Amino acid sequence: MTSEEEKILIVDDDRDFVEAVSSFLEAHHYVVLKAHNGREGLKLAKLEHPDLIMMDIIMNERTEGFFTVQEIRRTAELKRVPIFVLSSLYSQVTDFGIPPDSSWLAHDEFLPKPVNMSELLQKVRRHMEERHREPETAGGRKATT
Amino acid sequence: MGEPAEQETIVVIDDDYAMRLSCRKILSKMGFRVEAFEEGGQGLEGVAKLKPSLVLVDLKMPGISGMEVVTRIHEARPEIVLVVITGYPTIDTAVGAMQCGAYDFLPKPFSPDELRLVVNRGLEHRRLSLEMRRSEMERALLKRRFITFVSHQLQTPLVAVHQYLDVLKHLDNTESAAAKRQEWLDRCLKRTEELQAIIKDWLSLARIEGESFSRQWVKVDLQRIIADILKTYEEMAAANAVSLESRIPENTYFVRGDRNCLSVVFDNLIVNAIKYNKPGGKVTVSGENLGGEVAIAVADTGVGIPEKYRPLLFEEFFRVEGDENKKTPGTGLGLSICRRIVSEMGGSISVDSEVNVGSTFRVRLLEYRAPAEEEEQEGSSG
Repeated sequence: MTSEEEKILIVDDDRDFVEAVSSFLEAHHYVVLKAHNGREGLKLAKLEHPDLIMMDIIMNERTEGFFTVQEIRRTAELKRVPIFVLSSLYSQVTDFGIPPDSSWLAHDEFLPKPVNMSELLQKVRRHMEERHREPETAGGRKATT
Repeated sequence: MGEPAEQETIVVIDDDYAMRLSCRKILSKMGFRVEAFEEGGQGLEGVAKLKPSLVLVDLKMPGISGMEVVTRIHEARPEIVLVVITGYPTIDTAVGAMQCGAYDFLPKPFSPDELRLVVNRGLEHRRLSLEMRRSEMERALLKRRFITFVSHQLQTPLVAVHQYLDVLKHLDNTESAAAKRQEWLDRCLKRTEELQAIIKDWLSLARIEGESFSRQWVKVDLQRIIADILKTYEEMAAANAVSLESRIPENTYFVRGDRNCLSVVFDNLIVNAIKYNKPGGKVTVSGENLGGEVAIAVADTGVGIPEKYRPLLFEEFFRVEGDENKKTPGTGLGLSICRRIVSEMGGSISVDSEVNVGSTFRVRLLEYRAPAEEEEQEGSSG
């Protein structure tokens, strides 16, 4: 079972995508925070310390997601938050000459869009569990009893 | 605009102590971080370390000359705005400094207001050129990754639809899904329409490049095309509280071209003029005979287009960023289609715009000249 108040931040400029995925996660008892661009996302992340972040790469500004991920990793209290990159870029990523599994982006999971919901849920659960096993969490979350 | 900008650094290089002091005082008050150096060598080191936005350089200093400092900074970091200060203002020194890369010139003695003016002007120039460079880089990237971006563009609505359907399937029989089902299905329809619009635009682009294109050209009265389009969009204009006016008389503006393609051009321009207008606004279509050329202007009284975006306006998939546009659906292909069609027909398209006042798109097309045998075509079709 998921414990209460586990917060997931979704950053994606496609409101329909956010609506669908967040409804799914809410149905599985996660609290979902939504942002529609990198700037909003970063602000919300700093303010709310989510337990997990899902990030689109190509938003209004074409490389917005890349820079937002870098910025999140530069922020001390967000260094260890798991980041899932969700992008339809995945299938064409060879055009950028970078294999998706290398360390080109400081992300924890890369899920191609459209996202397989069962796979997403499974990965979210795994990362949440790992996070709870950590003795001290970076985001200042209270340790679960 | 409203967000707090990172504090910008200004470096002052001047051997005159009083000068450094007063510059520091005035510029600090404007909110800048100010670092002053009394000699060129130290100044260059300081600039390398601090990466300032703007540097004020006295031309006449002991040691490395001001001109040398200007040259070296400009070569190493062309994005830094250089302003030269001198007590001997002549045209020659000014021209010399500009040739070395200085952006502006401040003759001694100057008032605090003059300093503020020059600094603000310099920083504004820097902002514009940085934005320009970013836009150019973006455009270059866009060209290189064209196919990638086309697929991305096509995939985005498809992904949204897929995701809705997938989630509906997963949440089947739950209350939250039942409540949202209708709304989501409507959104799915909207997104498939968006996808169709993109594909339609995409096909028109491809068609314009086809060789058979010019063989279908006939004599066209632009009045008919424009009147038809305006009629089609009466309802949309009314819904947006925008009035439409045509000042194009019949039998006045004839061009040789493809009727459907010309419709696409004016359709795009007129729809944009309605979409990006303000409530109570107006769309006016007017014509002008330029002798050998016909110019048709589509003018709106809408939000306007910031200057920095204008060079990119006719590029594929370019869309002006802004709060207004987030709400306005579009494929980002319309204007690039217009440009291609018009240039295939030997014409040109341009834009004049003022933010919050409106934009005027001007299409220039070659006037129809009757080559004896080819004239019966117009009029026969309905």
